[in-house]
Amino acid sequence: MKRLSEKTQPMFKNLRASLFLVYKAISRGNKGTLALTIMVITLAFVNITFISSILSGAVDLAYRQAVDNYVSNIVIEPGQDEDYIKKVASLKTRINMIPGVISCSSHYSLGSTITYDVDKDGDDVREISWTVKSIDPEEETTVTNIHNFMVAGRYLDKSDRDQVIMGREVSGGYGAGLEIQSLKGAEVGDEITIHYSNGITRDYEIKGIFVTQLPLADMAVFVTEKEMESVLGLRDRASEILVRTGQRGQEELYIQRLRQIGIVDEEISPWIRYIGLISGITQSFEIIKRIVAFIGLVVAGVTIFIVIFINTVNRRRQIGIQKAIGMDEKIIIASYVFQALLYAVVGIGVGLGVTYFVLVPHFISHPLPFPMGMVSLLITRNELTASIVGLLLVSLVGGLVPSWRVARENIIKAIWG
Amino acid sequence: MIKVIDLKKTYEVRVPVQALKGVSFEVERGEFVAIVGPSGAGKSTLLHLLALLDTPTSGKIEIDGSDISTLSSHQKTAFRLKELGYVFQEYALLPELNALENVYLPLMLLGTARKEYVKTATGLLQTVGLGQRLHHLVHELSGGEQQRVAVARSLVNKPKVLFADEPCSNHDTENKGIVMSLLRRLCNELNQTIVMVTHEMEEREYADRVVWIKDGIIEREEKIGRRVPS
Repeated sequence: MKRLSEKTQPMFKNLRASLFLVYKAISRGNKGTLALTIMVITLAFVNITFISSILSGAVDLAYRQAVDNYVSNIVIEPGQDEDYIKKVASLKTRINMIPGVISCSSHYSLGSTITYDVDKDGDDVREISWTVKSIDPEEETTVTNIHNFMVAGRYLDKSDRDQVIMGREVSGGYGAGLEIQSLKGAEVGDEITIHYSNGITRDYEIKGIFVTQLPLADMAVFVTEKEMESVLGLRDRASEILVRTGQRGQEELYIQRLRQIGIVDEEISPWIRYIGLISGITQSFEIIKRIVAFIGLVVAGVTIFIVIFINTVNRRRQIGIQKAIGMDEKIIIASYVFQALLYAVVGIGVGLGVTYFVLVPHFISHPLPFPMGMVSLLITRNELTASIVGLLLVSLVGGLVPSWRVARENIIKAIWG
Repeated sequence: MIKVIDLKKTYEVRVPVQALKGVSFEVERGEFVAIVGPSGAGKSTLLHLLALLDTPTSGKIEIDGSDISTLSSHQKTAFRLKELGYVFQEYALLPELNALENVYLPLMLLGTARKEYVKTATGLLQTVGLGQRLHHLVHELSGGEQQRVAVARSLVNKPKVLFADEPCSNHDTENKGIVMSLLRRLCNELNQTIVMVTHEMEEREYADRVVWIKDGIIEREEKIGRRVPS
C-alpha cells in the first residue's frame, strides 16, 4: 500500500497540475482558435462517420436484398454426382423443426431457351438462354419477399400451370439496367415459349413482373412447382432448398444444425457464397471507406499538430519559465496532450451529436437512391469505435510531438532565445 | 551554504565562447550577495549555473555540502522546485494565470493541499502589497506589481536560496525601491539567502557583499554591510 501510494501521489499531483494548466489555457485562451479546432475535429469525425455509414448502409442493403429476395440465409444443393435433393417434403419438415429456422422453400431449376415473338408473326422474335426456376408460391412467401415487389401483374398462385413471373432484367423493361440479353420489353399478358433443356417446350403467359432492385434477384424466371414437376416428370425432388433463419450472421451455426439433423451428403452454403458481384462492390466500398477514414484522420491529426505546434512555439518562453520554476517536462507535455485530447473529445462529442441528431434522422426521412434501393446510414459499433479511437490516437500524437519537442528544449534557449 | 569551486562554462558555438573561466566563491546562509559587472562579463551565466538552469562545463556547485552540479535533469528540476527561488529580469509570469495562481503554482507542483497553497500564496501577495490584486490577470498589473508577484512566487516554496536576475532593470525609481527593499527585508527578517545579478550601482547598496566579475573571472569582492530597509 505504501509503495503504491508513493507511486500514485506524484502521478496525482502531476495530473492535477497538468489539468490545471489545460483548464487555464482553454478558459483564458483564444476562444476562436478553440472553436475552429473543435470544428475541424467535428468535421473530420462526421466525414469519416458519414462516408463509412452511407457505404455500410449500401452494403447492408445489398446483403439484405440478397437474403430477402435472392437466396435467403442458407442454400442446400445436391451432393456431388446428384442432380436433385431427394425426399424433399420430409427434409423440409425436419428443417422447419430446427429452433430458429423461420421457414424453407424448395426450387427446381432447369436450363432453357426463352423465346418471345413480339407481334406473334415470326418477324421480331427475341430469344435468350436462361435458367427457369420453380417455386411453391405460398411456401416462397415465407422465405423470400419477391411477392412484395410485383410492379406489374400478379404473383403466381399455387395452381398456375401456364403462367410465369419474371424479374425486370429478363423482361427488359421497368428500368432494367444491366447490359445483358433480355426479352427487351416483354409485358404482363405477353406470351413466351420456353424450350426446356430436357426437350419439352411449353407456352406461358407472363403473369407478373417484379423489381427487387437487386440485379441478381431480378434476373429470375419462375414457374410453379407443379408445372416444373410436370416438365421434369419428377416429384419430391429439388435443385435447391433455401432456408430462412432469424438473424443474418449466424449461418454457420445453422449449417451445423442442418448437418446434425442428417443433411450430410448435400452441399450447404451460406448466402454470401452466391453474391460474387455484390462482394466485389462491397470490397471496393471497404477500400473507399478506409481511404476516406485515413485522409480524415490525417487531416484531424495535422490540424491538432499545427494548433499545438503554434501554441507551443508561441509559449516557448512560458514553457521555459515553467521548467525554471521546477515544473517537470512530463507535466508540460501532458498538459498539451490533454489539451489535444480535449479538442478531440469535444469534437467527437459534437460530431456524434451532429451524426445522431441531424444526419441519421435526415437520412431516415430522405434516404439516398442507390441502384439497389434507397440507402440510409448504417452506423456500426465497430466502425464508430474505430473512428473515435483513431481520432483520439491522432490527437494524442498531434499533441505529443510538438509539445515534447519544445518541452525538451534548453531552459535558457526557451526563455531568452 | 553555497560553495562555487572553479566553475567554468564554454558555449560551443561556431567559435567556442568561454563565458566563465574558473569562478570560485562562497555565500553564507542569510547573506545577500550582488554579482556585478559589465555586459558580457559572465554574471548571468553564473546565475543560470547556480540556479541549475544550465550545466557547467566543469567545476562544482555545492549547496549545504551537496554537489548539485552533478544532478540529473529530473533531479535538477525537483531541486529547483523544492529548494530554489528565481526572480527573472522581465517578471516571467504565466499570462493565463492570475496573480494568486502564478504564486501558488509551485506549491501545487509540490503536492500541497489546495486550502494550504491558496492561504500561503495569499499571505505572500499581501506581504508584497498586492493583497487587493490577487485575482488580477498578469496584463492587468503594472510592471512593478508583476515583479512583486514574481518575487512572491519565488518565495512560495520557502527556498534555501533566492536568485534574482536584474530584478529592477525595467522599473522606475519608485518600483526599484519597493522591490529592492522587499529583498532586503526578506534577508533581514527571514534570513533568506539571496544571490542577485545587477549592473545598476544603486542596487548593490542593498546587498551585504558585492562580487565583481569581469571577462568570466571574479575581479574582486566588496563587503558592504547590511542596510536596514526604509
